[in-house]
Amino acid sequence: MPENAEKIRPKAAFFSFTCCEGCQLAVLSCEDELPDILRALNIVYFREAMTEKRVEPSQREDYDIAFVEGSVTTQKEITKLKHIRKKAKTVIALGACSSTGGLNCLKNRFPMDFVKKTVYGKYAEKYKKTFETLPVRPIDSIIKVDCYLHGCPISKTEFLSAFTALLMGKTPITQNYPVCVDCKMAGNICVFEKGMTCLGPVTRAGCDAVCVTYGCICWGCRGLVDDPNVSAHKETLKRYGLTAESMLRSFDLYGNCSLRKSGSLGVRPAKK
Amino acid sequence: MEKFSFLSNKEFRKLVEGLTGSFTVYGTVRKDARLSAAGDGFPAYGRISCFEDLVLGLTPTHLSAKEFLFPQRETLLKFDIEKMTHAAVVEAVDQVIIGLHPCDIHAVGLMDRVFAYGKPDVNYLARRAKTVIIGTDCMPDRFCFCKSVDTMNVDAGFDIFLHRVKGVEPPQGAGPPQNGFLVRTATDRGKTILSKYAKAKKASLKQLDEIAAFEKKREDSFTAHIDAPAGQLPEIYSKSDESPVWERIGAICYGCGSCNNVCPTCYCFDVKDEMKSNLNEGERVRVWDGCTLEDFAKVTGGHNFRRTRSDRLRHRFNRKFNYLTGRFGALFCVGCGRCSRTCLVQINISEVTNELIREYNAKKRQ
Repeated sequence: MPENAEKIRPKAAFFSFTCCEGCQLAVLSCEDELPDILRALNIVYFREAMTEKRVEPSQREDYDIAFVEGSVTTQKEITKLKHIRKKAKTVIALGACSSTGGLNCLKNRFPMDFVKKTVYGKYAEKYKKTFETLPVRPIDSIIKVDCYLHGCPISKTEFLSAFTALLMGKTPITQNYPVCVDCKMAGNICVFEKGMTCLGPVTRAGCDAVCVTYGCICWGCRGLVDDPNVSAHKETLKRYGLTAESMLRSFDLYGNCSLRKSGSLGVRPAKK
Repeated sequence: MEKFSFLSNKEFRKLVEGLTGSFTVYGTVRKDARLSAAGDGFPAYGRISCFEDLVLGLTPTHLSAKEFLFPQRETLLKFDIEKMTHAAVVEAVDQVIIGLHPCDIHAVGLMDRVFAYGKPDVNYLARRAKTVIIGTDCMPDRFCFCKSVDTMNVDAGFDIFLHRVKGVEPPQGAGPPQNGFLVRTATDRGKTILSKYAKAKKASLKQLDEIAAFEKKREDSFTAHIDAPAGQLPEIYSKSDESPVWERIGAICYGCGSCNNVCPTCYCFDVKDEMKSNLNEGERVRVWDGCTLEDFAKVTGGHNFRRTRSDRLRHRFNRKFNYLTGRFGALFCVGCGRCSRTCLVQINISEVTNELIREYNAKKRQ
């Protein structure tokens, strides 16, 4: 590192919206690399990782890279997100909730009044303002996102490769092929042959197919690839005995798949 | 006739145990037994650390054995920007692959030619030179069509080849007949290994009859086939660019690259430079790529030379039956049927080819 490293170290901030904060934990679990990350980045805000209870960066404070975790569910969050976009040169969506809406999107299957009443009971009505809620949205339905790190949670490898790419001024690469590729490379027997069904053939890879490798199925947490063959997958699921309803449910689990975005910075979604 | 010798099961065990003691051994295993319909698992390749791991299957494995010669991911170069150093990496260990079927052995032969073509690929060739190949006989399932592409039998490309036999009838009261193998060797290395670790006996006429009968049964068991001579396929494919087949199969294709990844002769790869988080050290790695994936033919600026799944499938099929035949003088499909077996939307390589043959013949008659 050069002498004036402190001056050229980009400032980074981590923000969290509606989510479980597991993607921030995934960042923190890069234990071997954390010293390198701290040497290269000047982290100005990272609540999950900081001891001091400091407030969020003020209006005057600048940061170059904003990692944004979580989906948007309140008006307050919309205002805050727009502010982040104004300040940051690069905005990175961290994880499924921020990039596709994530599991939180399950809420969107019901009317908002019903949802509030289910969770807060009689207080829903009493503290209307406190419990204000909007249908769940990924952050790019509100601001422009420069790079997506998909997954529930994010992949450490992908986070680190995005981190090095950004520091070198390169475009972070997000895979644009189905999980089947990772799954075959892992040497797995296809889930369909094992008498189960899976969303892998239309879901974005980059996860090394860990779920299938450890005996589970792909639930599509990374969202669809740029150009998924959804109609073919519906046919396949039908052939393997899934009903239309259960198909829609599985497609819907990790957010509305129709809201999928391009794989990486500067690459447009596939043409229709 | 002299080329065959007999290896009893006991001696075969000694051979495998001898090999696991001195080599890294890979071979055919059964995977996920609990989840398979028959309860005995799916045929796959895996690491063999003891004799019991090895299950010589009659039907093809899910993935081919190419990963042991051409790994999914390998480091080609290590560099350090701060120290201004770089060093090529060639990783190769003495290894044995047991259980390749004739189609797989033909496939390895094609890979050998690919990686020796032009500027020889040091990494592949180093690994290949240190690899002992032990083949075994097989029985076709409904996807196998090696008989139609002339890869049903092998005389070279392996070190040792095993034909299953029941063995000599023991004298009465001496237990069940002893199973074993009639073995062939095609290289000096194969001969040395065989004599070093096991004692092979002379094959009996009865045993030779037995494998002849097995081979006859095998030849009669094919249900999938290609309806034109193998030599005619490049011509048929070169006249099929406009066929409606491509649109039809393109519409149902996922573009998931499974056909590429399970194929024993698909060798396309991507080379990437990956920096470590300290931003000084890095590696140049090579990873498998597949021509049916959307970004395969995408270039800087965003243009994609094969944008649709139809375009990409047509390209893949032509690579197997047309484009590469000119350069290497052989079809690049060995008829193992793995792509058809793995395809979730049931795109079947032999059926597609037959459809093109029918169209070609119909056009010719006009």
